Amino acid sequence: MSNDNTIDQNVEQEKQAKKLVSLLDENAQRLSMRTLKKLDEGRNRAVKRHQELQGATVNADGTLSSLTSWVDHHRIAFAGLILFAIIGAFSILHNINNNETSDAFLLGADLPPEAFVDRGFEPSLNKRVNL
Amino acid sequence: MASSQELSEFLEGIERRAFKQTVYAVRDEHAALDIVQDAMLKLAEKYPHNPVEEYPMLFQRILQNTMRDFWRRQKVRNIWTSLLSSFGSNNDDGENRDPLDTIDVGDPAQNPAELVQNSQTLQIIEKSLAKLPARQREAFVLRYWEEMSVAETAESMGCSEGSVKTHCSRALHAMVTMLEQEGFSRKEIGNLGVES
Repeated sequence: MSNDNTIDQNVEQEKQAKKLVSLLDENAQRLSMRTLKKLDEGRNRAVKRHQELQGATVNADGTLSSLTSWVDHHRIAFAGLILFAIIGAFSILHNINNNETSDAFLLGADLPPEAFVDRGFEPSLNKRVNL
Repeated sequence: MASSQELSEFLEGIERRAFKQTVYAVRDEHAALDIVQDAMLKLAEKYPHNPVEEYPMLFQRILQNTMRDFWRRQKVRNIWTSLLSSFGSNNDDGENRDPLDTIDVGDPAQNPAELVQNSQTLQIIEKSLAKLPARQREAFVLRYWEEMSVAETAESMGCSEGSVKTHCSRALHAMVTMLEQEGFSRKEIGNLGVES
């Protein structure tokens, strides 16, 4: 019985509080232009800081653009781009390595470098390589 | 992670309430504006990677802490002001008041008599809210105005759920008593906020 009374009392209390709060809330919507302007400024400053921390910028049309959001929206393209860059870097390194080997071979050979351009020396060079 | 757009929408939704709540607590509009602006910036700076669902509670906690910092600074300033007050006179009678300060963005369609009555009722409610002890006001605002659950309010205030219930009950009782002292009957209090 007393439990029921407590529940009723709580419900009544909540109702009363809601009424007071609804008036306060209504009043909070009526602020002076100056206050609204200041709040607006504060909000914009906070949002700008948030954007800086997230690496985002505001576009000319007012929409937000950020590196992270671009990555989120173009996940596959971004992954492909990274893969392409890795393969490219690997192939460049491989070419440099090959060039170094062939340069060393040319410089270390008994024959003059022109001999390697002359097709007539090909059988002789092949024989050397086989040896 | 909340986007900047979500943060902007969240702040737009709570900034007016936060401002009024701060005014009731610090009783100074300029200081309240500074506190709310500061709290907004702190939220953006300290929690840029938190989901937007966590923002209401985080913002309230930051706001309450910023208010406490203000009171602490105010206490120190008051000591110095009282010490130095004998050396100078205060001529700030509000001569440089900006007319923009007094322009209300209200509903022009509302009946003037109704407006006056509502404004008087509101003044009394605001006065009673401002008179409440800080913890009771905080509990009342978070629980009923911010519509937080008892558990959320307790977490935000750093106290037990039982304490929140007690603070809320006492706050409401004190406010109703103050309204009665101002001449409101129980019935009128019961009809507050109901459209006539």
